[in-house]
Amino acid sequence: MKLPVPLSLALRELRHEWLAALCFIAALVGVLAPLLLLLALKNGVIGAMVDRLVEDPANREIIAMGAESYDAAFFVRAEGWPETGFIMPATRRINAQASAVRNPATRALDRSVPLVPSAPGDPLIASDRGVLPGSVWLSSELASALDTTEGSEIEMLIGREVDGTRETARLPLTVLGVLPSDAYGRKAVFLSLQDLLAVEQFRDDLRLSADDLDRAESSPERYASFRLYARDLNDLQPLMNRLATEGITARPRVENVALLLGFRDNLNLLYGFIAVIAVLGFWASMVANLRGMVERQRVSLSLLRFLSMPHRSVARIPLAQSLVLVGIGVMLTLVLVLPGLVVLNTVFQAPSGDPVARLGMSDIGWVLALGALTGASAAIWAMRAAASISSEEVLRNG
Amino acid sequence: MAGPVVHIRNLGVRLSRNFAVVIESLDICRGERLVMDAPSGAGKSTALGLVCAAIPDSGFPDRVHQINGRDVCPGLPRESFAGPEALGFVLQTNSLVPFLTAQENLRLPLQLTTQRAQPEWERHLIETLGLRRLLGHLPSALSVGQRQRVSIARALLGMPALLLLDEPVASLDPANVGKVEHLIAQLAQEAGSAVLLASHQAQSGVFSDAPRLRCDVLEHDGVHYTLFNRPVAISQRAWS
Repeated sequence: MKLPVPLSLALRELRHEWLAALCFIAALVGVLAPLLLLLALKNGVIGAMVDRLVEDPANREIIAMGAESYDAAFFVRAEGWPETGFIMPATRRINAQASAVRNPATRALDRSVPLVPSAPGDPLIASDRGVLPGSVWLSSELASALDTTEGSEIEMLIGREVDGTRETARLPLTVLGVLPSDAYGRKAVFLSLQDLLAVEQFRDDLRLSADDLDRAESSPERYASFRLYARDLNDLQPLMNRLATEGITARPRVENVALLLGFRDNLNLLYGFIAVIAVLGFWASMVANLRGMVERQRVSLSLLRFLSMPHRSVARIPLAQSLVLVGIGVMLTLVLVLPGLVVLNTVFQAPSGDPVARLGMSDIGWVLALGALTGASAAIWAMRAAASISSEEVLRNG
Repeated sequence: MAGPVVHIRNLGVRLSRNFAVVIESLDICRGERLVMDAPSGAGKSTALGLVCAAIPDSGFPDRVHQINGRDVCPGLPRESFAGPEALGFVLQTNSLVPFLTAQENLRLPLQLTTQRAQPEWERHLIETLGLRRLLGHLPSALSVGQRQRVSIARALLGMPALLLLDEPVASLDPANVGKVEHLIAQLAQEAGSAVLLASHQAQSGVFSDAPRLRCDVLEHDGVHYTLFNRPVAISQRAWS
């Protein structure tokens, strides 16, 4: 295929002035490679770390501070708030604890285990299989202490004292699953509200015998507490405001949520700032280089005009050169950076197994598009200069 | 084609506040040859630039400028009247594109106007000017004389109606001057091109008997004018 004349001349000139072209490309790679590496790191371990911090449900939890109690109507209202991600009534803290939990198979036993009411949709249990009456999830630490796994049968022991005599009720439970270690860092049983209320009722109602525990039924008029999670971090403050209008004193579990949000936003801003400064710097350098190239080629371009090459065709020569140089620069950068990322990910393995540095196809597409845009816009001054070169200059220089 | 290849009246340019070059009267027919013999600095190159419209004129009153019967108006795209079939030009130096080989330079004017050379004529030019072994070389690998020969071949490859020569042998060593002038005259005759030669050393050699453009210098209102005229009496002499 025959190339258009301006492109053909542009390529021949670049080949002839290969050293200048090489310096131009080296300057481009020098700017682009660290920028791509930074982007890859941001996409990789840094981004994953920040996302994990931002997405950790614990950071979205709101804790009630006062000694109020909450009726069923409050929970209906709270579930309807758009900022609410998950809300769960809870019992008094003193009742939300099993005397012990044991694994009959191994006889492993753990005492004073916290009980956390849960339900399908609980953000701590990232699974479709939420708790049911008689079926629970265990925190990783507790599962490890009991030497139990998903599908095991365990036994929960609830103690009370009646007239100085200690009574213990036993509740058999099926382990539906074990939470990942980073989801909940303490020992806990995640159980249905119905089971938790049964525990509370057994402790409070001395008429119930230990054998009646699994038949206890209770629907209290008011609940002593709740577990509440905002839909996302940005909803945390509006949700606090709603609670305040309900007269409820509460605080977020993580004090520095604003700092966390700021960190995420600032990281994006910081990268954007670095990228803009780097691209602007390179753009300015390209503008000057391309303009300088036109000046070096002035007599030749005038000769082309003299030989009847149209202005617009002469102007396309620096444009073609800019796009070719940027194209080669971007390709060379990718050829250097992509294998570099493989090496980086092999040498520095993240504990989570996630890649330390990552570049997606969309990132590469953006880099190519940005390169083409930068190359084309940087060539405008050079194009104008080339188009303004007259045929008489070669006569004066001849 | 009937009529002059170039028809000019009062075509001039003011190069500064007090200096202007004007071609008052010039007609050249196909096959004619004409010498512009004036002292160095008089404005010969400027006059050639005006003829081929490489230098825009200053729009003096009663200006007429026609190439191949076509009016050359200000702003007219150069490619519309200065194609390789209309004009060929040999500069004193700097006339080759440094990043193209001799052969690519040779074909460049035709390539720019998407025309093709007549193979027989191209071969003839290459053989006559002794370029065969030089075609693959870049200009930097050629001597001054070799570069001028490539430049002459390029100017004639389109068989132009008018061949403009700006001191084409000035940079050559004296031993080659006569030989190159002879080749130019021979090949221009074969191409049927009119020749306008700007030179201050055409008193001898193959162009010594060619008609001269008269060059006068006058001062008017503080402006020095260099005026080029073709005397009417010799304007109809055909080149033989």
